[in-house]
Amino acid sequence: MDTPVIRADALTKRYGPHPALTDATLDIPAGRIVGLVGPNGAGKSTLLALAAGLIRPTSGTIDVLGRRPAADTAQLARVGFVAQDTPVYAQLTVAEHLRLGERLNPAWDRPFAHARIKQIGLDPAKKAGRLSGGQKAQLALTLAAAKRPELLIFDEPVAALDPLARRAFLQNLMEFVAEIDVSVILSSHLISDVERVCDHLVILAESRVQVAGDIDDLTAAHFRVVGPRGTLDTLPAGTDVIATEHTDRQTTLIVHARNGTRPDTLGQTEPVGLEDMVLTYLHRAQGTGAPTLQESTR
Amino acid sequence: MIWLTWRHMRTQTLWTAAALAALAVYLLYLGADLREVYDRDIAGCTAECGQAARAVADAFGTPLLLLGLVLIAGPALLGAFWGAPLITRELETGTHRLVWNQSVTRTRWLTVKLVLVGGVSVLLTGALSLLLTWAAAPYDQVAASRFEPLTFAARDIAPFGYALLAFAIGLAVGVLARKTLLAMAVTIALFIAFQVLMATAVRPHFAEPVTETIAWSDANAVGTIDSFGIGPHGAGIQGYTITDAWVLSDYITVYKADGTEVDEDDIAACDQQTLHPDECMTSLGAVFDVTYQPADRYWPFQWAEFAAAAGLAALLIGLAFWRVPRGIN
Repeated sequence: MDTPVIRADALTKRYGPHPALTDATLDIPAGRIVGLVGPNGAGKSTLLALAAGLIRPTSGTIDVLGRRPAADTAQLARVGFVAQDTPVYAQLTVAEHLRLGERLNPAWDRPFAHARIKQIGLDPAKKAGRLSGGQKAQLALTLAAAKRPELLIFDEPVAALDPLARRAFLQNLMEFVAEIDVSVILSSHLISDVERVCDHLVILAESRVQVAGDIDDLTAAHFRVVGPRGTLDTLPAGTDVIATEHTDRQTTLIVHARNGTRPDTLGQTEPVGLEDMVLTYLHRAQGTGAPTLQESTR
Repeated sequence: MIWLTWRHMRTQTLWTAAALAALAVYLLYLGADLREVYDRDIAGCTAECGQAARAVADAFGTPLLLLGLVLIAGPALLGAFWGAPLITRELETGTHRLVWNQSVTRTRWLTVKLVLVGGVSVLLTGALSLLLTWAAAPYDQVAASRFEPLTFAARDIAPFGYALLAFAIGLAVGVLARKTLLAMAVTIALFIAFQVLMATAVRPHFAEPVTETIAWSDANAVGTIDSFGIGPHGAGIQGYTITDAWVLSDYITVYKADGTEVDEDDIAACDQQTLHPDECMTSLGAVFDVTYQPADRYWPFQWAEFAAAAGLAALLIGLAFWRVPRGIN
């Protein structure tokens, strides 16, 4: 499990002149549950479609589990992908979907698939077109998991689900990730979902990767500094200012220490919550300056 | 993959097969009926054979023409209803993102779909074509015009090529257009355009046509003059038929023995002698040039037609195989 699940180098995808993903360089280690967050249109789906090999990059490279995505049958078998809106064949029954999975995947885990369908309570004879959104998502998840991949990719798996179904889906996801030993990447525009299930984070905005890393490391490396106005104009080397906010008398900065530890010279600092950190990056990417951090924007 | 393809196409394949089976039964009946009439009225004919032939042509011409049209429309419909949605329906429901992430490469996915669905289209169309060719054989022998566009395109092996081409158009247009309805409409339009272009602009030039100079006295031995007109601008033949050959000349100018056109003065001279137009032309030593494709080129033309359709189909299929692994979103 030493091969990174995703290694991207200057990965770029353009549709005509419109950039969907720009210069993404990433190195995501194995064994993580990765949250890919960003607003709609940030490039999340593009990055995941590139990882699944559904589309090819305009320039740059991406390797998934050490190989080109969707290169051959063996590589396809190693990656499970659940697309946005969890598409299933409306005309096929739940049982026929399992049959599809069994016929198209050499490593298909039949007992696992049947046990999961039973556990979720899906009627095998029911047409998939008549399932609820939550049930469809569960069926798609079962299909992707029962092929026993090394990496599972979810593109906004819960976006279309109501809060109850969303919770059940994520709960389920957590359970079998523990059960079958698999790396996971899921995208979401809901930071709370990511916070609940992920241990690694990639923030995407305006088609660019803003920051990426293990969540514990990221929270350790980001902090808020408050000081009288004018005293925080120069910062120690190795730090980036993500956001600046001035009042008449004082300045508040959100700072990222690139080496992961906050410099002692900076005086008193406060930790920044994950949601605040994400929002700060998103606002910076949009060029709207400092957000009002107490206010939830979604 | 084979199971999945069959599962998706099961219903429509069975319905189409049922409709074609009904058509096949009708063709068998029609073929048997035609043979009976042919044996009775034409093969054993001793007097008024021309009239007997015309009666057969009148009785069977219309149903055979309609069946021919069905056979020409068939590939267009299969291309539009089977070929075009093959990929667009997956794109519209998003299920391509499901199936392309099973452990099956897109090339294999496309190959199986193409071979199974496209193969069935070609075989069904081809079977219908051979059956119609059999059923219509006595009529075609009497009509002696196998190059007639609606006959040529609905007999023997040309329809195999059409079925393949129409399916390939549907597939390739589907890949490019990504919308089922649009792809279906474009498929039908392109296939009609192909048929019209082949019949009017391409097929006549598969081989260098033969131009023969025919003396007036031999005119009705080599072929048949359909109509002949004398006017202020000279004399001309409108429509000349040679048995089983494909005459390409529409209006044929008639020349005198010295190589100049028959003109008003010649005709006025004939009128003064109250000569019958036929006698007039013979007395002038009239000749005319007919350009045509001889009857023995029928099979080379059938093969050329098939090859043209299959070649185009191969290009379009190649396009789909090039495009699909590169991603459609």
